[in-house]
Amino acid sequence: MNLTEEEIRNIALKAINELGNKANADTVKAVVEKAVSAIDENVKLPSGNLKKTSGRVILTSFGMNHPGIVAKVTTALSNAKCDIRDMSQKIMDEFYTMIIIIDISNSPLELSEIQNELTKVADELKIKIYLQHEDLFRHMHRV
Amino acid sequence: MPYQFEEILETIKMTEIEHFDIRTVTLGISLRDCADRNIEVTKQKIYEKIVRYGGNHVKYANEIERQYGVSIANKRVSITPASIPFDSFSADEYVEIAKTLDKAAAEIGIDYIAGYSALVQKGFTNGEREFLKSIPTALTETQRVCSSVNVASTKAGINMDALNMMADAIKQTAENTKEQQSIGCAKLVVFCNIPEDNPFIAGAFHGITEPEVVLNVGVSGPGVVLDAIKNAGNVDLQQLSEVIKRTVFRITRAGELMGRQVAKKHGVPFGIVDISLAPTPAKGDSIGDILKAMGVEDVGAPGTTAALAMLNDAVKKAGLMASSSVGGLSGAFIPVSEDQGMIEAVERGNLSIEKLEAMTSVCSVGLDMIAIPGDTPASTIAGIIADECAIGIINDKATSARLIPAYGKKVGDVVDYGGLLGKAPVMDVRNLNSNGFVGRGGRIPAPVRSLTN
Repeated sequence: MNLTEEEIRNIALKAINELGNKANADTVKAVVEKAVSAIDENVKLPSGNLKKTSGRVILTSFGMNHPGIVAKVTTALSNAKCDIRDMSQKIMDEFYTMIIIIDISNSPLELSEIQNELTKVADELKIKIYLQHEDLFRHMHRV
Repeated sequence: MPYQFEEILETIKMTEIEHFDIRTVTLGISLRDCADRNIEVTKQKIYEKIVRYGGNHVKYANEIERQYGVSIANKRVSITPASIPFDSFSADEYVEIAKTLDKAAAEIGIDYIAGYSALVQKGFTNGEREFLKSIPTALTETQRVCSSVNVASTKAGINMDALNMMADAIKQTAENTKEQQSIGCAKLVVFCNIPEDNPFIAGAFHGITEPEVVLNVGVSGPGVVLDAIKNAGNVDLQQLSEVIKRTVFRITRAGELMGRQVAKKHGVPFGIVDISLAPTPAKGDSIGDILKAMGVEDVGAPGTTAALAMLNDAVKKAGLMASSSVGGLSGAFIPVSEDQGMIEAVERGNLSIEKLEAMTSVCSVGLDMIAIPGDTPASTIAGIIADECAIGIINDKATSARLIPAYGKKVGDVVDYGGLLGKAPVMDVRNLNSNGFVGRGGRIPAPVRSLTN
C-alpha cells in the first residue's frame, strides 16, 4: 500500500504519544501495525477495489475494411467482460473507422491487460486499435 | 455519444500521427534536510532521500502513459539548489555531492537530475563561491547532473562578478570535456530571473519556497501546432493566433491531466504545468518550422521576431485559459541544436547570433544550445551573457544562456551529440573586445521597473 508523507508523520507522532519513554522495538512495531491497518481499512472500505482502473475507456479503431472486424473486436471485449456503452462507425471508400465507448469497471482485468488482449486482435486483423481513458478526451474537448 | 466523432479522431491524430507527447514529468525533491557537518553522512542522506521519493517515478509515469495513450518523453528529478543546504562545504566536497546525485539518478533510472544550482544575482556567500568553482569538475565527472546559476534578476540587477566567474566556468567545462565535444556545456545554464518551478532540464531546480516534494509537468507539441497552422491555410494573423490558441489549449489540458495523475500515484502535490513548446531534433517537431509555416521564408528573415512574439503570446493565453496552475517558463523554446529548422537556418547562413538575441527578447528562454568557436575569449562570452541578462532584467522575464564554446572547433564545424541534444553548427561571434566593460566587475544596479512596491 501507498502511504503519504502526512500519514507516516501522523503514525510516528501517534507512536511517540502512546509509548513515550517506554518504547522498544516490539511495542513500536505493534503500534505502527495497528495504525497502518486502521488506515488501510479506512481507505479500502468506501471505494471498493482500489487496484482496478474505474470508469469509461474510449476504443478507437481504423484500417482497411474487411468482414469480421466488429465481430472479433466485440468478442474480445465480451471475453474481458467490458460493457459497450456506445458505438459508432463509418466507412470511407475501403477504410473504416470505429469508435466504441466501453465501461471496464466490472471487468476483472486491468486496463493494460485489456490493451494487451486487443493488441493481439489488432495484429491478427491488421488494423489499429487504441484504448485511452475517457478523462483524456474530456479534458481536451470539454471546459 | 457525448463526444463528436471528429473530436475523438482529432485526439487520435494528435497522439498517433503528430507526435504529441508530454515532454517531461519532473519530481522536485527538497534536500534542505540533508545537510550534515560530515560529508559522508550528507551524501548518504541525499542518496537515500532521492531514491526513496524517486524510486517509482519512472514506473508511475509509464503506467499513466499507458492509461491515456499519450507518451511521456522524459522522467526527471530536480532538487533544491545544491549551494543552499550545503553552503558549508568546499569545492571538492561539492563535487562529491554531484557524484552522489549522479549515482542516485542512475539508481532510479532517469537520464538527468537538475538543481546543481546557485542563486547569486545579488552576491555570494562563501559556500556559493566554492560551489561556482566546483562546477567544471562536477560536470566533467558526472553524466546525469545538470547545473544552472542565476546571475541576474529584475529586483537585484546583474552580478557581473558572478557572470564573469560563469564565463570562466563555461570555458573550463568546454576544455574539460573536449573529448566529448565539450558536452559539459550542454548541462550548464546561466540564468536571469530563473523560475523556481521550471520542470525543463537543464534549468530545472526545486525552488526554496516549494513544498517537500512536488510534481511539475512540461508539455510540448510543436508538431501539433505546426500541423494546425498548415491546415489553417491562408488566414489573417488574428485567425492564425486563434488556431494556435485552440491547439495549445488541448495540449495543456492533456498535460495537466497526466501530471495530476502521476502526482496522485506518487501521493505528492501537483505543482504546475509548463506550457512551453519544446522542440526536438525529430523532423516536424520544430519551432523553426512553425515560424516558416507562419510565413517567413526562413528563420532569421525580417518578421521572424514578430512571428515568434505572436506564437509565444498565443501559447501563454491558451495555457492560462486551460489551466489555473501555469508556471515555469511557459512559452516557445528556441534551442538551436535541438531544432532541425533552426539548424538548417544557421547552416544556410540565414540566422545569426544577433538575430537569436533579438528573438530571445520575445520568447520564454534565451540563447540556448548555441555552439561558438572554441577560442572565443571568456570576456566575450561574458559580454554575450550580459546582453541576455540585460534583456531579462529590463523586460522582467526569464532569459538564459547555454553556450558551447566547442573546444578546438571553428565556424563551419559542427558538434553532434546525437539524441535529444542534437547537433549544433558552430556560429560566428563578433571578434570585438568586451573586456573593458565586463572586466569592471561589480553589479549593474536593478532597473527602474524593480521599484514596484
